[in-house]
Amino acid sequence: MIKKSLIERVLQKALSNGADFSELFLEDSISSTIQLLDSKIVKSINGNDYGAGIRVFYGHKAIYAFTNDVSEKGLLKAAEAVSGAQIGDKSLEIIDLTETLYDSPHKILIPFDSVPHQDKIALIHSIDTASRNFSAYISQVSINYMEKAQQVMIANSEGLFTQDHRTYARVYVSSIAHKDNQMQTGSEGPGALMGYEFFNKLDPEELGRTTAERAVKMLLADYAPSGKFPIIIGNAFGGVIFHEACGHSLETTSVAKGASVFADKLETQIANSCITAIDDGTIPNKWGSSTIDDEGSPTKRTVLIDKGVLKSFMIDKLGGMKIGTPSTGSGRRQSYKFAPTSRMRNTFINTGTDTIDDMISSINYGIYAKKMGGGSVQPGTGDFNFAVGEGYLIEKGKVTKPVRGATLIGNGRDILKKISMISNDLEMAEGMCGSQSGSIPTCVGQPTIKVDEIVVGGRKEK
Amino acid sequence: MFEKEFQHIQELAKKHGIQHYDVYLSKSKAFSVKIFRRDIDSFNYSDSIGLGIRVILDDITGYSYTEKLDRESLESAILNAKKNAKIVDFKEKVVLENYPSISEDLDIYNKDLLRIPVEDKIKKAKKLEQIALDYDKKIVNVPHALIGDNESFFKIANSSGLNKEYSTNACYGFSFCLAKEGEETKSGYFEALSRDFNDIKPKNISNEAAQKALELLGAKEIKSGNYPILFNNEMAATLLSTFWRIFSAKNVQEGQSLLKGQLGKNIAHSIVNIIDDALLNKGYNTRPFDDEGYPSQKTELIADGVLQSFLHNTITALKDDTNSTGNASRSYKSTINISPSNLYIKPGLSSKNDLYSKFPKCLEIVQLSGMHSGCNTISGDFSMGAQGFYCENGQRKYPIHNFTVSGNFLQLMKQIVGIADDLKFKLSAIGAPSILVEDLSISG
Repeated sequence: MIKKSLIERVLQKALSNGADFSELFLEDSISSTIQLLDSKIVKSINGNDYGAGIRVFYGHKAIYAFTNDVSEKGLLKAAEAVSGAQIGDKSLEIIDLTETLYDSPHKILIPFDSVPHQDKIALIHSIDTASRNFSAYISQVSINYMEKAQQVMIANSEGLFTQDHRTYARVYVSSIAHKDNQMQTGSEGPGALMGYEFFNKLDPEELGRTTAERAVKMLLADYAPSGKFPIIIGNAFGGVIFHEACGHSLETTSVAKGASVFADKLETQIANSCITAIDDGTIPNKWGSSTIDDEGSPTKRTVLIDKGVLKSFMIDKLGGMKIGTPSTGSGRRQSYKFAPTSRMRNTFINTGTDTIDDMISSINYGIYAKKMGGGSVQPGTGDFNFAVGEGYLIEKGKVTKPVRGATLIGNGRDILKKISMISNDLEMAEGMCGSQSGSIPTCVGQPTIKVDEIVVGGRKEK
Repeated sequence: MFEKEFQHIQELAKKHGIQHYDVYLSKSKAFSVKIFRRDIDSFNYSDSIGLGIRVILDDITGYSYTEKLDRESLESAILNAKKNAKIVDFKEKVVLENYPSISEDLDIYNKDLLRIPVEDKIKKAKKLEQIALDYDKKIVNVPHALIGDNESFFKIANSSGLNKEYSTNACYGFSFCLAKEGEETKSGYFEALSRDFNDIKPKNISNEAAQKALELLGAKEIKSGNYPILFNNEMAATLLSTFWRIFSAKNVQEGQSLLKGQLGKNIAHSIVNIIDDALLNKGYNTRPFDDEGYPSQKTELIADGVLQSFLHNTITALKDDTNSTGNASRSYKSTINISPSNLYIKPGLSSKNDLYSKFPKCLEIVQLSGMHSGCNTISGDFSMGAQGFYCENGQRKYPIHNFTVSGNFLQLMKQIVGIADDLKFKLSAIGAPSILVEDLSISG
């Protein structure tokens, strides 16, 4: 992308006021989006993101600048801006970069630009048709097809010099069911760190049908009851509960500031002993994987919780310096416009031995949240909330009827102790996670789990 | 600025036989400093440019963008936009000519902001943290104490001869703190935004943030049921920020808004007035024209409870046989859409204190969570995590937490029975006074 000698000069310039560390991140991304609405292709846009981010550390202080002027002049100007922000006492060392390239386990078979546009459009239409054919209640289907190829170069004053090429494929489908004045949405957004082979493997009929089925089911459902109940949370996207309730609070971003309820809890029992939780950036071609993170560290499989005991945080370079542990390869960012920070990759609760039938028959009155919607958490307090996308009422040990509009709220610390049963149907689901360093691809995942008690916000009193 | 690049585009469009197009360029500079434990925690500068092209071939629009502005990159952007127009099978008339002229001389750029030394910004950010910590022993942590400023330049040109630009800037301060007592932690935040650095007062911001966290300590749970709900001004604005899309003409035309067919009808209590004003004095989103180059205006969306207008760009306006309201929005990376400018619920005459005493008891909500997950912007249904106060006999009795508030936004607007005089805008340029809602479902 740019000459090694220029990179060395930029890193050197960034150190020139006595900084301890400098880093250059260069990105050249090509992305393309096609949108279908009203059974028509209504939007097609593509573009090129191109720019550089320069970061320096003075002790634990991080200074970041980005620019899309990547000419020699532009880069040196940005380097000067970051170096001039502080004065440090480190003497200048000669930077000598040696390029290291890692073997990628994430093979890309079919590049996007080798596939004709008609094929992509035919795929999108077949999802739409499948959804609309499912039910006359389906009044709208929105489909977003996305492909992205991101080339990154990372170099730092410790001599690191490496590159990574990441290729992302995803399609997001929302089917809307309509009756009288009521509307309900069913959505799925499968994706992978793959080329067009991902779309070749996708079953468009099933995708269209699943989203439509959920929307219609919820449209015809009664409102969920309110109150405190035991609850069963379905696999795959149900893992959003762990992502929100616990995952964010295990990122050094919040841990290093003591702004996490788990900050001082390493090696202590924070969850029921049936829980083992893992954050894994190495799973081949998974949506949240990559060969190296956005600081150039190889990604890892990190056991966060082992049988209920907190074992590790998710750690980036700066966060690691602050808490005195090495990086877990968790430094991630949306683009050159963001300084990297610790983020999740593919995060999941590991498989257990219970069955869904046992869980259901153990509940006298509760909710089966088969499919979760999105959620959020405040790491400082651990308070979280998330929406139920497809819910059912459980009465006297049996699933009786679908219910809609439920929201689950609670506190991360409490809920980890209230997860009492874990089944053996571990699956993952793709999402975009937004935080300090932007919006990035992550997977959530879990087997079906039972939570003994949670506050359900519905529209009806029990 | 950028006359050369725009000249290139004009030449290249001609060369490739493209007759209808527009070009949107934005250049932004931003700075922020964050303090943690009396030292700099992060320090960010940015300077970035992007250019988006919209090509219209036989009423079909194709888009592309680039962050490289050399002639070769501009040419491939134009060709890509043309290629994209050929994929799309959706015809839509785009109006590029006969826009009304712009006469507003708006006060949206303050040259003095450029001259504020970095040291002064650092000093102010340090004060933000210190003041919050000094406010009370129970304030144990200030995870975010931030001072920042930004400056943006926009330039829009099209094949019908439009060529306009403007610059705007602003600075802001933000404080987010945690109060702790025993095992209980509560948070509070406060923000201020202005075009005058002197208006960013650390004492106001941090005292307010600290106070908000402290007053929630000792929170109790609340029994499920239906209560009158008082949303404070910030939470009323949060509700409006979550549901403003129901006013977008694009959402209405696409069948994604329940306001379809409701123009001229009563959709809210007669005391409710909602206004979008792109010319608002000191508004954060005040601007001479929108992202299509269409002049700004003030638009009444709801007057005395009656739906008067939707938010339009030129495309949606043409379909509804009306005029654009100057609410076209885009970034160079996105396609054209609709956004509010400065959107607010008009303040009423009563004080917030009057609202407490309208009912023998009510719940005041001062924090909401789960706006993006617990709210369905299409159906209007919401169910959000909330914190606030139990109020009786016209005053707060004790803080409450761990409950959800749920309902439907459209029904809520009909149930607004009181509007206070304390209009406050959030950084999103969406604002509201405190509002009292007759009856919502609470589950705790």
